[in-house]
Amino acid sequence: MVYSTELLKGTLKTIVLKLLADNKKMYGYEITQKVKEITGDKIQITEGALYPTLHALEADKLVTTEVEYIGKRVRKYYSLSAAGKVRTKEKINELTSFIQTMTLLLELKPKSI
Amino acid sequence: MATLTDEQVDFIARVIRHHGIRLQDLQDNLLDHICILVEQGLDQGGSFEEVLAKVFRSCYRKELYELEEEALFLSSVKGPRLVLSRGKFFRLVFGVLLAPYVLYFLLALLHWLPVAYDIAPMVIFRWTLVGCLWPLLSLAVIYFTPERLDPLIPRHSKVLLGGGSLIRVFRFEASLV
Repeated sequence: MVYSTELLKGTLKTIVLKLLADNKKMYGYEITQKVKEITGDKIQITEGALYPTLHALEADKLVTTEVEYIGKRVRKYYSLSAAGKVRTKEKINELTSFIQTMTLLLELKPKSI
Repeated sequence: MATLTDEQVDFIARVIRHHGIRLQDLQDNLLDHICILVEQGLDQGGSFEEVLAKVFRSCYRKELYELEEEALFLSSVKGPRLVLSRGKFFRLVFGVLLAPYVLYFLLALLHWLPVAYDIAPMVIFRWTLVGCLWPLLSLAVIYFTPERLDPLIPRHSKVLLGGGSLIRVFRFEASLV
């Protein structure tokens, strides 16, 4: 089962930030492949979702970039900035809490029972 | 593994630009990504043109420039406070700018205005609000309410928003003269 785009949309920044935290520096295609590999193809990040997100993270100064020239093309590597590291922790905590709440909600019974 | 020639890379870069991608980092990222996928596709067989067409089509839903719009939108949203919904925007605009004019016309309708106040505000309304203010407000609506928040209304037709009520007010004002 591949998860829907709507479901992934709110979590994409967190996924990218966490991957960068674990892998130091990555380029776009590498990120898509890593996500596929880790999730066993259940989550497939498209170019249309990934690159706008990377652009936004760069605009927010949460990532820094360095480029490598491969012939006539440029490969852009992303890594976390100091602010990005702090934000990653916040985003992971937020998502973890959200998942716990959703679990509670979908079980449709109070936690204490 | 197949390696694209410089001419092929240039061709892909031109196609990306031709499809409306103007942001340099988006161009670079897409070029690298598409080149990798095309090289993988060539390994599995097929001509450069066929593989490129297939890969290119998989990168977007309707048009490639959607990616740029999405990138610009995401990087412009620092928090919910910076983007106003249309409802909030109009309440704010109405409260600050239009309410005094509406109050003036209500007072005029009830004949509660001193005679001296009849002419000048009307001229201001006609030439300031209609001539200058409304076009500026329309531009502000377009700027502050991205398409995302208002998907059923085409972006540039937002200049017509509120036009009907404006014309009615204008006609009413003309009938008072």
